Amino acid sequence: MGLRGKESTLVAENAVEDDDDVMDDLSGQESESGSESEEEDVKLAEPSKNPIYNRDGLIEKLQDISWPENVEWMHKLSLDIDQEKEVDVNDDLARELAFYTQALEGTRLAFEKFQSMGLPFLRPPDYYAEMVKTDVHMQKVKGRLLAQKRQIEEAEERRKAREAKRIAKEVQAEKLKERAKQKKQEIEEVKKWRKQRQQSGFPAGGKDSELDLGFEDGKAFERSSKKRPGVSPGDRSGGKAKQGGGKGKNMKKRESRNSKFGFGGRKGLKKQNTAETTNDIRGFNKGGVAGNKKRKK
Amino acid sequence: MGKKRKRSETQTAEPTKKDEGAPERPKRTLLGWKDKEEVKNQSESNPDSSHFFRNKEKVMVTCSRRINYRYRHLMLNMVSLLPHCKKDNKVESRSSKGATLNELIELRGCSSALFFECRKHQDLYLWMAKCPSGPSVKFLVNAVHTMEELKLTGNHLKGSRPLLTFSGNFEKDAHWKLLKEMITQIFGTPKEHRKSKPYHDHVFVFSIVDDHIWFRNYQISVPHNESDKMIRGGLDKMTLVEVGPRFCLNPIKIFAGSFGGPTLYENPFYVSPNQIRAMEKRQKAGKYAKKVKAKTRRKMHELSNPLEPDEFADMWRE
Repeated sequence: MGLRGKESTLVAENAVEDDDDVMDDLSGQESESGSESEEEDVKLAEPSKNPIYNRDGLIEKLQDISWPENVEWMHKLSLDIDQEKEVDVNDDLARELAFYTQALEGTRLAFEKFQSMGLPFLRPPDYYAEMVKTDVHMQKVKGRLLAQKRQIEEAEERRKAREAKRIAKEVQAEKLKERAKQKKQEIEEVKKWRKQRQQSGFPAGGKDSELDLGFEDGKAFERSSKKRPGVSPGDRSGGKAKQGGGKGKNMKKRESRNSKFGFGGRKGLKKQNTAETTNDIRGFNKGGVAGNKKRKK
Repeated sequence: MGKKRKRSETQTAEPTKKDEGAPERPKRTLLGWKDKEEVKNQSESNPDSSHFFRNKEKVMVTCSRRINYRYRHLMLNMVSLLPHCKKDNKVESRSSKGATLNELIELRGCSSALFFECRKHQDLYLWMAKCPSGPSVKFLVNAVHTMEELKLTGNHLKGSRPLLTFSGNFEKDAHWKLLKEMITQIFGTPKEHRKSKPYHDHVFVFSIVDDHIWFRNYQISVPHNESDKMIRGGLDKMTLVEVGPRFCLNPIKIFAGSFGGPTLYENPFYVSPNQIRAMEKRQKAGKYAKKVKAKTRRKMHELSNPLEPDEFADMWRE
């Protein structure tokens, strides 16, 4: 190509200098967000090369091609936005932000112009027409966005679950330790009581106030407060006999009968050594035995 | 309730809505059609009445053979963005490229052209030319992201007229001014084009950063709460979503003629990608040579400065 040949001869003079453009060209092939080439940053200023700059020619051509002066803005729809500050090319975020602000400014100006002219500007929500990207494509976009959101949420949940598990484990460990300590304590106290009893020779002085027994404060045989709701020792229904509805004519009667005969009746508990039965000597000899004591019965 | 409005309705509704601005056809008055002379004599400048100015821009979009898939998609994106373009077949040409293209353009009856030339399956050059006698520019295209990328989530009407925004530094110099004019003519959809749609819901951004022209395409989106025809208070809540495509143009040369002719402008900072690759390779090739040189240097140094005999050399000889 004649044109390219000219370029290459001119540039061959400067051997190894690169410049920002080079970096952009190179890295830009793949993605603009990663300028990962390590070329030097030297700007290729070549006043010695004498590049062609035919200003008059350019302006002449500009006059040739441009539309007449009095063309309405509606034909051109072009807006000039001034940038205040220089943007570094390699800072992607700043650069994109600059473009975004430029576009936003332009749109605002255009909107005002349109409003003053009384022309419609934006698409009304009920206007359906062919879009530049197909619906299928937009579905894919939506799917991807949703997937991203879901990923984030899942990561959050996993993190929270991990934290909660850690805390729960700690709490559980604490509880176990407590229980073990309690058990040890009780055993110790029983031993102490036994020893004390031995030492003081099993008198009926169990009411000695010296003996300060940790387990005789009435709480020893107390079941844990964490019992199944509504289960009494004689309950055969396993705690499920609680009635759902609380209304009715003879609820109390029904409940009492249920507790006695429901689900097969009461469990064991027919013969038990309770306080009442120990002192109950009805079944024993009544009225003294007037027989021979020596006679074997 | 918003009922579905068909496109044809709005098309016909549009001209009647415009009180200002040019009537498309000669105005129909009670006395008959307005005369041409009367229209011309109107002091109130209606310069874009059909007798004065009509944007009849037609762009021909082609590419060279052996074009990359990414650049082909970019070209197709451009075709969908410009409703006033005509896509042509691939151009096979090594030499006399200019003549062939000029002929093609004449054949299709277009007034400008966008030619995507791909070299070595790697570099994309974009030619923007005004025909038949207008200037032409050759760009090197970088940083191409097409519309199909899923990260670019916006969407807009196909064929709606874009708003073109240019950064302030297009006025700084003559060649930028020329480029701005060319871009306005090529990328701006003519008003009342057959395939154009009425509303303006996207905006092009052309801005010069570091002597490159960066192109972005954003969709104007406003949250529809009042669902009025024209969003009044929504100006503050207006957001832009990128539609794509994205590319960065590096101007190489500007010619006075179409695809040829005397050079008007040459970019002093332009280095062709071939050169960049050659320089890289040379750097890498230099590594081995440097190593060899370093070795010989070390040898010479050792020979010239012999070490003193070591006293403890035979200490551990068993």
